[in-house]
Amino acid sequence: MFAIGNDLPFGELSAPGAGMMPKLSAGLMMLFALLLIAGGAQSRELAAIDWSDWSHAALLVLITAAAVVAYRPLGFLITMALLVFTLLVLVERRHALVAAGYSIGLTLFAYWLFGKALKSPLERGLLWF
Amino acid sequence: MLWYAFIGCLVGTLVGMLPGIGPLAGVSILLPLTFGLDATKAIVMLAGIYYGSQYGGSTTSILLRIPGEAASVMTCIDGNAMAKKGRAGAALCIAAVASFIAGTFGVIMLTLVAPPLAVFALGFGPPEYSALLVMGLIFLAYMSTSSLVRTLLMASLGLALGTIGIDVMTGHFRFSFNIAELGDGIGIVPVAVGLFGLGEILATPSRRVTAQVIRPRLRELLPSRTEWRAAALPIGRGSVLGFVIGIIPGSAHIISSFLSYAVERRLSKTPEQFGKGAVAGVAGPESANNAASTGAFVPMLALGIPTGPVTAVLMAALLIHGVPPGPTLVNDHPNVFWGFVASMYVGNLMLLALNLPLVGVFVNLLRIPYAYLYPLIIMFCVIGVYEVNNSIVDVWIMLIMGVLGYALKKFAFDPAPLVLGLVIAPLFEMSLRQSLIMSNGAWTIFLQRPVALTLLVASVGLLALSAIGQMLRRKDWRAKLAQAEAVEKL
Repeated sequence: MFAIGNDLPFGELSAPGAGMMPKLSAGLMMLFALLLIAGGAQSRELAAIDWSDWSHAALLVLITAAAVVAYRPLGFLITMALLVFTLLVLVERRHALVAAGYSIGLTLFAYWLFGKALKSPLERGLLWF
Repeated sequence: MLWYAFIGCLVGTLVGMLPGIGPLAGVSILLPLTFGLDATKAIVMLAGIYYGSQYGGSTTSILLRIPGEAASVMTCIDGNAMAKKGRAGAALCIAAVASFIAGTFGVIMLTLVAPPLAVFALGFGPPEYSALLVMGLIFLAYMSTSSLVRTLLMASLGLALGTIGIDVMTGHFRFSFNIAELGDGIGIVPVAVGLFGLGEILATPSRRVTAQVIRPRLRELLPSRTEWRAAALPIGRGSVLGFVIGIIPGSAHIISSFLSYAVERRLSKTPEQFGKGAVAGVAGPESANNAASTGAFVPMLALGIPTGPVTAVLMAALLIHGVPPGPTLVNDHPNVFWGFVASMYVGNLMLLALNLPLVGVFVNLLRIPYAYLYPLIIMFCVIGVYEVNNSIVDVWIMLIMGVLGYALKKFAFDPAPLVLGLVIAPLFEMSLRQSLIMSNGAWTIFLQRPVALTLLVASVGLLALSAIGQMLRRKDWRAKLAQAEAVEKL
């Protein structure tokens, strides 16, 4: 923050500029981080943290990221149905037919709720409605 | 209006019951549902989700020993013990009645306290607001269950994120990286949904959410006379304690339930019964968390200051609908303020009706496998965030915050101060710079104004108290709460 906010004027203590608050908060972060490091011996050991679910989390992030990329070009209906289907089949190992039925039903319900009942402008993408 | 209160209460009950989605994620994700409504209906519905979730959380705690949301952690202990003794219906009834009494007490107090507080706050200028915001952050650090340094580090990160966007005083773009959407800053909705909604899902593999649901019978819902007697005083104490704590910044509804449990155990003639199905262990915490969730509306509506992340999102909702919360709300938008207060009286009654006769229906919902539930939540997260500004950048921010929320959970950081810092940053910076303009750059303005000085002295005092407590390694109620939460997570 200090580096990329270098071009922002710091101002003076009596008249803070646009750069003062970001640098102040970044400075506070550094201070508290140093205090945290100083008291590190009393914390839980890093090795004691359970990371066994990291692959589940990573898969979820990847699938959601793919859905975010596809959302505008493919539109709401196709993207969301694919998102739910992929999560159920790839992550949860559910039967493809059950997953397809559930994902289509769920997406159509969400489409009705947001697009029709609440009149939210959902992305159309490849579809015409 | 009542229809929207009912929808809010119903959704809130579901949000509170279902593990993996708390009131903050629920309110944030469902915020876009209110875009087609006017401000009064929107806030009535969103607030219904918040206080409704406090009711719903008890059902999962009692029947599954899984807290549907964090404030129900303490109800798990004795509520589930009662259920195992065949008193599930009585525990649910006591929890619902305690929630109703405390919720109604909270609304009465809100009606009495908020308008005069708003009149008092009308005299506040930028120095008073700066000092109030500082005190809000320090209070949050003081009340937090994680360490002071960790809380302040999170708040500083929130403050830093809150500086992104155009500087309203000078017009400089700050950290926007030529992304037009970042010019308006980082919105609270993508951050809150990411940290508390997606982050929670990332850290919860579906294989871990398996539990046996105890199904209560309707005819067993009425507690015995002895159980009513045992619940009466804890409900009264929990209501008062919860409301007072609710006004103070911090995760009030969580803290109040723990404090109430500790108070009841200390006052009990049979403390050995706690943990084995003590009625007071259900009645106290349940009344405290409901009164606290109502108390949190006092500073939000009267001062325009969020006491926690949920009230911060509710404030954002009011702003989206063109209604600035704060001292002018009661006079400028009386329909919003009084409509909201009136809806809460009826809302508490609706929740009582929803949570008792329909408990069997809700129990069936708990049988839906989590594997089918979380794709729905992720879908709602994406739609909910996108619909706020029709911005795909917001959805990316949510995803990044989801990963951050997952990491913070692993490293035992509480993300609530980050959200509060994000909301407070622009307000604090603006009022600080306005104060300095008022005084021609003299910082002594904060010492010359009695209210500002009092608030700053109180902040320093709290900071000192907290630091001394940590240096002496005193095991106070916050340390015990952190331990209780850690045990429940296992």
